[in-house]
Order: sequence, then structure tokens, then C-alpha cells
Amino acid sequence: MSLFGMLGTASRALEAQRFGLDVVGNNLANVNTPGYNRRIADLGALPPSDRYSAGRGVEVLGVRSTRDRLYDQRLYDEAPLEQQQAALADSLGLAEVALGGAGTSIDSDLAKFFDAFAELAEAPTSTTARQQVVTEGDALARSFTSMATRLNDAARATDARVREDIANINVLTSRIASLNKSIAASPASQTLHLRDQQTETLKALSGLVGTQVLELADGTAQVMTRNGRPLVMGADSYALQAVSLPPSGYAAVQAGGVDITAEVSDGHLAGLLQVRDGALPGYVAQLDTLAHGLATTVNALHASGFDASGTAGGNFFTPPTGVAGAAAAMAIDPALRADPSRLAAAGVATPGDNAIARQLANTRDTALAGGKTPDQAWTSLVYAVGSDVSRAKTEQASRADIVNHIEQVRDSVSGVSIDEEAAMMMRFQRAYQANAQFFTVIDETLQTLLSLKR
Amino acid sequence: MYRVTHNTLYRNSLRDIQSTAEAFARAQQQVSSGKRLQRASDDPAAAATGLRERAEIRSVDRYRQANDSVDSRLRVTDTVLSDIVTSITSAQTKAASGRSTVLTAEQREAVALEVEGAKQGIFAAINTSYRGVYLFAGADNTAPPYTKTGATVSAYQGDANVVQVDISRTSTAAITVAGDSIMQGSAGADLFETLDALATAVRAGDMPAIDAGMIELERAFNRVTAAQSGVGTTLSALPGEKARLDDLRRASDSRRSQAEEISLAEAISEMTRAQQAQEAAIAVAGTNQKTSLLDYLR
Repeated sequence: MSLFGMLGTASRALEAQRFGLDVVGNNLANVNTPGYNRRIADLGALPPSDRYSAGRGVEVLGVRSTRDRLYDQRLYDEAPLEQQQAALADSLGLAEVALGGAGTSIDSDLAKFFDAFAELAEAPTSTTARQQVVTEGDALARSFTSMATRLNDAARATDARVREDIANINVLTSRIASLNKSIAASPASQTLHLRDQQTETLKALSGLVGTQVLELADGTAQVMTRNGRPLVMGADSYALQAVSLPPSGYAAVQAGGVDITAEVSDGHLAGLLQVRDGALPGYVAQLDTLAHGLATTVNALHASGFDASGTAGGNFFTPPTGVAGAAAAMAIDPALRADPSRLAAAGVATPGDNAIARQLANTRDTALAGGKTPDQAWTSLVYAVGSDVSRAKTEQASRADIVNHIEQVRDSVSGVSIDEEAAMMMRFQRAYQANAQFFTVIDETLQTLLSLKR
Repeated sequence: MYRVTHNTLYRNSLRDIQSTAEAFARAQQQVSSGKRLQRASDDPAAAATGLRERAEIRSVDRYRQANDSVDSRLRVTDTVLSDIVTSITSAQTKAASGRSTVLTAEQREAVALEVEGAKQGIFAAINTSYRGVYLFAGADNTAPPYTKTGATVSAYQGDANVVQVDISRTSTAAITVAGDSIMQGSAGADLFETLDALATAVRAGDMPAIDAGMIELERAFNRVTAAQSGVGTTLSALPGEKARLDDLRRASDSRRSQAEEISLAEAISEMTRAQQAQEAAIAVAGTNQKTSLLDYLR
């Protein structure tokens, strides 16, 4: 190769090393950018122009990002499972807090209620004991209603989060669609940063709702729900709607007018729906069964007795209209509240008798409808909530480990290592210095050649 | 080869700091609150056990209180029955001394007055009320079982039921007595009528009537002492019942405590361990990439 040709080689080499440094700089600059995949400068040796040449030096082939689709796909698959359990643990945690601690919740109100009857049984004619039964009955009824309210509030709060999730899903799908549009419109080498964003957005979307992601040859992504409902097709996104449905007014998830609430099987949204439509109503139903059983049993016993004036007993609690809503509607009979002498403690029409008060006190050990005593029914509700939360937490922790592991492996492939970049930096710097030296040598050689003519 | 990257290191350190901090916070809360369970989800089965045992403790406590209250009532009943026995005995003694043909009319009058005095004593005793309850009026215990017009005592005003109180899941104790069961029982006349007839007989010096009255008094005496021994039996069973309830309570409480509370020594050592783990995690994070290749590039 001619000396002038070698000058060209040297300058291409300087160019290539500078490019390498450029890539290193970019990697270092993005060391903390979420979703950034390490870039690699691709250099290639140029072939010799003729058989008397070693080669024409180096050329920049381009820049590519190091990415393993497998790990991305695994993340899209695992993120929904992890997020679902996270949503379950969070939202059920609210219900768990609502239940209150042992000794400060319905358990202690039940105990006080039955204790009051037992005290009444010892002194059936005492106005204080009568008043106490009425007060404790009132407190118990209020505990039930406020517990039902708290659980329903938790369901409403979860519904609000369902709507938030749907809004977030729509933001993410429209972002993916616009990324698709930009990716499709530019050459592949110009869209590396867009692809990074795309991966990151897809990951966030998968956390919210389980998806099927199909990456097309042009780098765009097609996203569908697990059941094949389109979310993103090319540059178009299909928004989900939150439609309030009677009677609860809770949001149903609709895609293009079709109710897909039941299809959402994983992801954060699915966890919320599970809590709102499954777990919380189940807890309320358990509470209702207890309230209904207690109110009807107490009422039946109370009605079979006689009050302080020898009149047959009336209602103790306002009779529940049905099992559903019994806890929320629980209240002590207003006439009884106004006049505790109407409390029927006696089994015969003599005011000093205590047969009914005793039986009412012993209701604490009586199996209500459903085969459980009041305490057992309450305990099993607490156990149900506690074990649901505990299961969700455990499941979430193990899912989080899996996600973490995948991210770690993914990082190992795609992440930026500062040491590695430092080594690369040194490599390109030294190469640059060497090539500059080579340039000087050629220059001096040319000088020598030119000076021959003098 | 596994590439260790900037993010790997930071993510892992952060995660370890978070998880050790969480463990430390939990251990610390256990020590400071003394509770093993902050929420049911910490250990659902233990939480259920705790609730079950709490309910058991509450009902045992209730029965324990009922025991005490039954105890005090029955002691009053016992005392009253003793008073009645004393009055009957005194009437018997007096009537026996009145069964003599040598007494003057004045002496007979004095004996009759003594007999009537015994009747007064029994009347006062049988109408004893304790904490608003007439102990000898059965279930109809808001009014005195016997009333008096002039010197005549009414018939029994209470009823035949007795008020029972539960002193454990399986046993009950009667806290009132049906007064006519001891005043009359199966006899043709009640104790007051017997005493009235006896006083009349003493005044009249009617020996067969005095004899008949003495027989009736003896029967009344038997009825009262039988009732008293019934009360005594119940009373003597109470301490055993209380001890049983106390045992039950202790057992329940230890189960509850095992389920809900921590062993302090264990919890403190657990907390120290968690603290060390957290300190280690923080220290390790501090050494992350302390040395870098960059340090050696000039």
C-alpha cells in the first residue's frame, strides 16, 4: 500500500478508536439509566486492496446493544405473577388491619356481651345489669356495622386502585404504540434507545396485566392479553375501559365493549380484582353469617322470655332481613335501647327468674347457623384473612426472588460494568495513541521521501 | 463467565439492606411490644390459637366471678338457715317447758310469748334480701316471700322455682330457695301456723295440741337442716370448682402466651442477630466498587 494510503488507514483507525471511546462514554453516561442495554462498538478489518497490501485498516461496522430476548420474555412472564401477589398482599393487608388486634376487636365485644348476660343472670332484677346488657349489645352491634363498613371501604379503595391500574395500562399501551411507530419509521441502528424504552415499558405493562408480547422483525412489538385481546398492534393501541356496573358500582374491565374482567388472570390488576371480587366479599359474607346467626339466635331466645314487667320478650336485635348485609345492618332494638326493663331475662313471668339470661350467656358456647360458636366464627374469619395475607406475602417473596434472579442474569448480559468500560476506555485510548504514533511515523517517512528530491 | 455489573452490585446491596432492615425492624418491634404477632398474617395458626384461648379465658373468668358471687350469697343463706334453726330450737325448748300441768297461767303466757318471739325471728330471717334478691322467694324474688297483717303471717308469696347460676360449663348452683319448701314442705300447715297453734295450745294448756305442735316443729327442724346441709354441700364444692377454673385459666393463658408472646431472651438474641446482619449488609454496600480499575488509570 502506498504511504498516502497508509495515512488513510491511520486516519480511519483514529476514527474507529474515537468511535470506540464514544460508545464507552455513552455506556458510562447511561450506567444508571433503567432498561439501558450495554452498547458494543462493532469494528471490522477492511480487506486489502491488492496482494501487496496487508489491509486497508479498520472500519466502523456500527453499534449494537447486548440483549438477550429470552430474559426479556421471561421477565414479561414472571412480572405479572409477582405483581399479582404484591397486589394481593397490599390490599388484603388493608382488610387485615381493619380486623383489629386480638382483644380489641369483635372478639372482646362478644365476650363483654355474653359476660353482661351472665351478670344479669346473677341479678336479673338489677337495673344496672340490664343497662349493661343493653350497652354491651349496642357496642357489639356497632362493632359489627363498623367492621362491615371497614371491609366495604377496603373493597371500595381496591376498586379505586383497579381504575388506576386500568388508566396506567392505557398510558403504557399508548406509549408502546408510539414507540412502535418511531421504531418502524427509523433504521434499526437509530432505534436502540427506543428499543430499550420499549422493553422497559413492556416490563411495566406486564406487571400490571399478563400479556403476550410478540416482537416483529422490524423491532415493533405486538401486545395482547393472555386471552388474545389486542392491546397494541403496530402504531395503534387499544385502551381498556373501566365501566361502573350496578349494583356495587365497581369497575368492570372492558376491551372494545366486551367485559373481560373474568379473563384477567394475572398481573397487578388481577390481584386487585381477586381482592375486590373474591376475598373481601368472602370476608364480609363470613361476618354476615356470624351477625345473622347471632342476631337470630339471641332474638329467638329473647322472645321466648319475659321482661321485668312479666310481658313476653320482644326483639333484642333488629331482625336481619337476610344473611347478606346482616353485619352492616346490625342494631339493637330501639324500644329495648330506650327501656332496658324490656330486656327479657326470665323464663317465666316472674321478674326474679334468670333462665333466659343464663341461656343467652351460654350462647357463647352455642353453635350458630354454620356450626360454629360466635368465637369460633370470628376466629376463623381472622384466620382466613391472616392466612390469605401470609400466603400472598410468601408467594410474592418467592416470585420476587425469581424476578430478581432474571434481572440479575439479564444485567449480567446487558448491564454496564464500570470496570469493563474503564478497560475498554484504556484499550481505545492506547489504540488511539498508537495509531497517532503510526500517523507520525508515516508523516516522518513521507518527509524523508520528499526530502530525497532536494 | 458471569459478568458482574454496576447495577447488579447496587441492586443486590440495596435489596440486602432492605431485607435485613425489615428483619431488624420486625425483631425490634417484637422486643419492644413483647408480642410475637403484630398481625394475624405473621402466624395465622398462632393468631387463631390466641383468639381461641382468649375466649376461653374470658368465659373462665366469668365463671370464676359467678363462683365468688354464689359463694357470698350461699354464705348469707347458710347464716339465715342457722338463725332459723336456732329459733326453732328455742321454740322447741320453750314449748317443752310449757308442756307441764303445774304452770300458772302467767307462766304459760310467758312460754307462749317466747314461742311467738321465735316466730318473729323466723319471719325476719325468711324475708332476708341480699343484693336486692329475697333469698327465700324462689324466682319471684322481688318481693318478700311472707308478709304479715297484724300478727298473722301470710301464705307463701314466692314461687316454687329457684334461680340457678352457672358456675362452670357443666355445673350450676341455686342462689335462691323456695321458702315454702322449708317453711311447709309436705306438711299440712306451715311453720308460722304451727307456731301460732303451739302458742295457743300452750296458753290453753292443751297437752295433745302441744305434742302435735312439737312433732310439727321437729319436722320443720329436719326440713331446715336438710336445706342447710344442701347449701353446705354446694358451698364446700365451690373451692374445688374455683381451683379447677384457675387451672383451666392457667393452661389457657400459657397456651395464649405461647402463641402470642415472645420469649424475651430469644427475641433479644434474634434482634441482635438481625442488627448484625443489617450492619454487615450496610458495611458491604459501602465497600462496593471502592476499588475500581479507574483508580489505576493515569
